Amino acid sequence: MDIEKFVQEFANQFDMVPAEEFTPETHFKENEEWDSMTALSIIAMADDSYNVRLTGDDIRTSVTVQDIFDIVVSKVK
Amino acid sequence: MQFPVSKYGFVFRMVEESDAEFILSLRTNDKLAKHLSPTEGDLDGQIAWIKSYKQREARGEEYYFLFESQTGQGLGVIRLYNFEGDSYTAGSWLTNPGADEMTAFASDAFAMDLAFDELGFSKCLIDVRKQNVKVLRYHKRFFKQIAEDADNIYMEMDRDGFQRKHQFLNSILQP
Repeated sequence: MDIEKFVQEFANQFDMVPAEEFTPETHFKENEEWDSMTALSIIAMADDSYNVRLTGDDIRTSVTVQDIFDIVVSKVK
Repeated sequence: MQFPVSKYGFVFRMVEESDAEFILSLRTNDKLAKHLSPTEGDLDGQIAWIKSYKQREARGEEYYFLFESQTGQGLGVIRLYNFEGDSYTAGSWLTNPGADEMTAFASDAFAMDLAFDELGFSKCLIDVRKQNVKVLRYHKRFFKQIAEDADNIYMEMDRDGFQRKHQFLNSILQP
């Protein structure tokens, strides 16, 4: 998996934040747009693009985009 | 079903008059109110609305749920109404912006399961503001669009959609 592509896909789930503001180190929950629907969008993106089911706990325990990427990598079959 | 009910780590119960202030705080929250019908910041009006609702609840015509933490902190509300034949409408879905990210989906799963499995409905109808892009994206995974006007998209979910959504939500929520 390509982290740059993943960061781009992750950033695309935010409607009001320019994609270039996201990096693997971004603390995404500190963004004002972060809410339950954005969390669901991230879960749906992982499902659609990587056939991986993220859980609520995966979201809760993650701080950075890299954290989510690592979980997705660990779950890719 | 006996209320309150504990599920997904939250407590669900029927709305009471004493919840008026909390509900008003949700409906007038700047972040949440963007996609709502305008609400007057009037506590007496909210109490009167709940009094009227409790009569509809007693007749089995409508159910308005408040969900809270195990320690009794109010987290949000969701309502089932417009019971017509085999269909119902789900709406008034509001979650406190400070709540855990999964709270909204736990409440959605709870209300949907109750409508299809306990109340026996086989069709859920909703309308969503076109500008409410993320909520639309969420519902489009399970609902079919049946109409639209200048401001809203109207959608319905049948039992097949319900089963797919039930499976999806239960896979991301804690038991």
